[in-house]
Amino acid sequence: MDFGLTETQELIRASAREFLEDRSKSDIVRSVAEGDNEAITSLWKDIVDLGWPSLTISEDHAGAGMSFSDLAVLLEELGASLAPTPLVESSICSWVIERFAPDSLKSDLLPQIANGDILITPAIVEQDASWDPESTKVAATRSGSTLVITGEKRFVAFAEQATHALTLVRIDNEEPALVAIPIWKADGVEQTPLAHASGVPVSSLTFNELEIPVGNIIAAENEAIKAVEELTAAGGVARAAQLAGLGRAVVDATVDYTANREQFGRPVGTFQAVQHHLAEMAIAAKQVNHLAYSAAWTFSQEGYSVVAAAQAKIAASDKIAELCWTAHQCHGAIGFTWEHNLHLYTRRALAWKTDYGDSAFHKSKLANAMGL
Amino acid sequence: MRFDFTPEEKKFKRQLSSFLDDVLPTDWHGPADESRDDHWTLNQDIKKGLAERGWLVMSWPKEYGGSDSSPMMNTIFAEEMAYRRAPGHDRFGTRMFGPTLMRFGTEEQRKKHLGSIARGEIQWCQGYSEPNSGSDLASLQTRAIEDGDDYLVTGAKIWTSLAHRANMMFMLVRTDLEATPHKGISLVMVDMKSTGIEVLPIVNMAGVHSFNQVVFDNVRVPKSNLVGDPNDGWRAGMTVLNFERSGIDYAAWARAALEEIVDYVNSDEAAVTSAKTDPTVRIKLAELHMEVEAARLMCYDVSYRQGKGQIPASEASMSKVAASEVYLKVLDYGVEILGMYGVLEPGSSQAKLQGRFFKMRLFYTSGPILAGTNEIQKNIIAQRGLGLPRK
Repeated sequence: MDFGLTETQELIRASAREFLEDRSKSDIVRSVAEGDNEAITSLWKDIVDLGWPSLTISEDHAGAGMSFSDLAVLLEELGASLAPTPLVESSICSWVIERFAPDSLKSDLLPQIANGDILITPAIVEQDASWDPESTKVAATRSGSTLVITGEKRFVAFAEQATHALTLVRIDNEEPALVAIPIWKADGVEQTPLAHASGVPVSSLTFNELEIPVGNIIAAENEAIKAVEELTAAGGVARAAQLAGLGRAVVDATVDYTANREQFGRPVGTFQAVQHHLAEMAIAAKQVNHLAYSAAWTFSQEGYSVVAAAQAKIAASDKIAELCWTAHQCHGAIGFTWEHNLHLYTRRALAWKTDYGDSAFHKSKLANAMGL
Repeated sequence: MRFDFTPEEKKFKRQLSSFLDDVLPTDWHGPADESRDDHWTLNQDIKKGLAERGWLVMSWPKEYGGSDSSPMMNTIFAEEMAYRRAPGHDRFGTRMFGPTLMRFGTEEQRKKHLGSIARGEIQWCQGYSEPNSGSDLASLQTRAIEDGDDYLVTGAKIWTSLAHRANMMFMLVRTDLEATPHKGISLVMVDMKSTGIEVLPIVNMAGVHSFNQVVFDNVRVPKSNLVGDPNDGWRAGMTVLNFERSGIDYAAWARAALEEIVDYVNSDEAAVTSAKTDPTVRIKLAELHMEVEAARLMCYDVSYRQGKGQIPASEASMSKVAASEVYLKVLDYGVEILGMYGVLEPGSSQAKLQGRFFKMRLFYTSGPILAGTNEIQKNIIAQRGLGLPRK
């Protein structure tokens, strides 16, 4: 057991902190939440320049060839700073493409994701809000070497910025297929932005007889189902890493506030009732951190683990949301205001709680793995 | 970053597990009730077996009979012992008092006592809490008055586990009545056969005699039994608590209990056969599975940091809080899932799982209370870990 970071990971952490301190300040986070898409584009451009989208892409495909653990260290910092940027979306898609796509597609897509020419985001969920791939209904019909796609995907993050969507469809009402769909200004793709608590753009995507080449199929039939299951698990671990960072940031902010806010002639943080809230928050943040890192490490070693992903995402979803509510209690009235930044964290925690499988989804997966 | 054991650690775990296969009765479910003579004999036999294999004090330095093994190895040992609910893991001598003696004892004291602990021959108990001094330990009133080459000890200790089985006690006594509470305390070793000691059993709410009140009436203790300097016992005594504080036992007990529940739910014996397909049951058991793993990782983190030479006081407190609480959650759910059978006491002909869960749930009510209540642990986390002001 080694809970320390490698030298590379220490470097990743330090450079991420330095960059995000400046580039993910709360006024930027707020302005993005209010619809400033230019701020997203500008931040993403800098992130591409830093090479972060290429981090876990293999060296064979022009990536940096780093591990899922390395990515988790970076994501923890992105979570702590609420960075409004699609790194999880991009990284998880490239991870799935690397594991499932035929070589020709890998060589085509991955170098472009690495250099920022392609920004790809998962479009898996439909009207029933389920991450279960079996429930997919969006239809594709085969017409020669073309797939014609019709139907609606919901809760697609950064669809407004993305060039491509990684989408599960059902060909001829039967065979599931995972496809890369070019969506940037494409005919036959309609976007409906949703007012989403995450503070980043989230949309519904409606495909109206959208034509894409059959060659864009990344995985078909059982492999497509498996790919989406793995995508959901990996996304869960990635969100857990972000939530670990978010939780840490909220604990730090709450310690800072309660140590300085005075009532009855003393800091409120001297009261045992407040100290115990904070002790419990600190335990929760630490547990989520351990489970997220443990899962990321397991992914690095074994490629994929449904148990580790479930443990991390269950803990992150449940514990960090609760931690945020307790932080509001500790902040008193000031933390209830629009002006105070605390609700930005809470909104993000509640949004991340739901995606890549909520707590109940992963508990069911874990129960299966436990033999229940 | 590495969330796995080394090959050496895995090998040790296998060896220990196989040793326990051999020494534990085939139908062993534990936990041991040390007031039962057969369980106490098993405790002693296992302890000697562990000593013979060099495992009892393996984290100790070589010069005292150990093998300088890492804190992680020690945690693996404690975890496996607890996971099997095996008796024979001598917390008081090997984990708490031995390391304290190495740091604060004289060469003569070390020679005399460390060997017998390492060989598993002598049982120690811990005399800290008093009837009027629990969490506020520094208020303790048991006095040691100088009388020539001896101290005369008078007072009472309480909640003393294994006092009825122990040969020796390490205890905190007040040697300076005038000094401020923390400054007038000394740590002494007392032979439990000394004249003037009376051990009064206390039966706990689970019906088990596991701890005692120990009354001292002018008990003569040679000054050579003082550990560390006179009136410096608070420092030495708190060192003991740092060695004591880890959640790994609870985390391992919780894992064992959870596995037992899952097996029960999946078995034909389950009182409610639909339990395994009931989504509420599945969801609750999955949640507990996550909680157990989270607590376990916190305990490993403590060992990792100790291995790096740190004294992770806050992390140790976190692990104790997390693990003792999750263990009770698991036991609560074990009792709940047995439905009306859940409240049948051990010995009842229709009890499921031998009434074990109900009894364990009552017994381990002590978890968040003993070795520093979880409230005290949270104070430590907030003040020492997070740096919140005391005043």
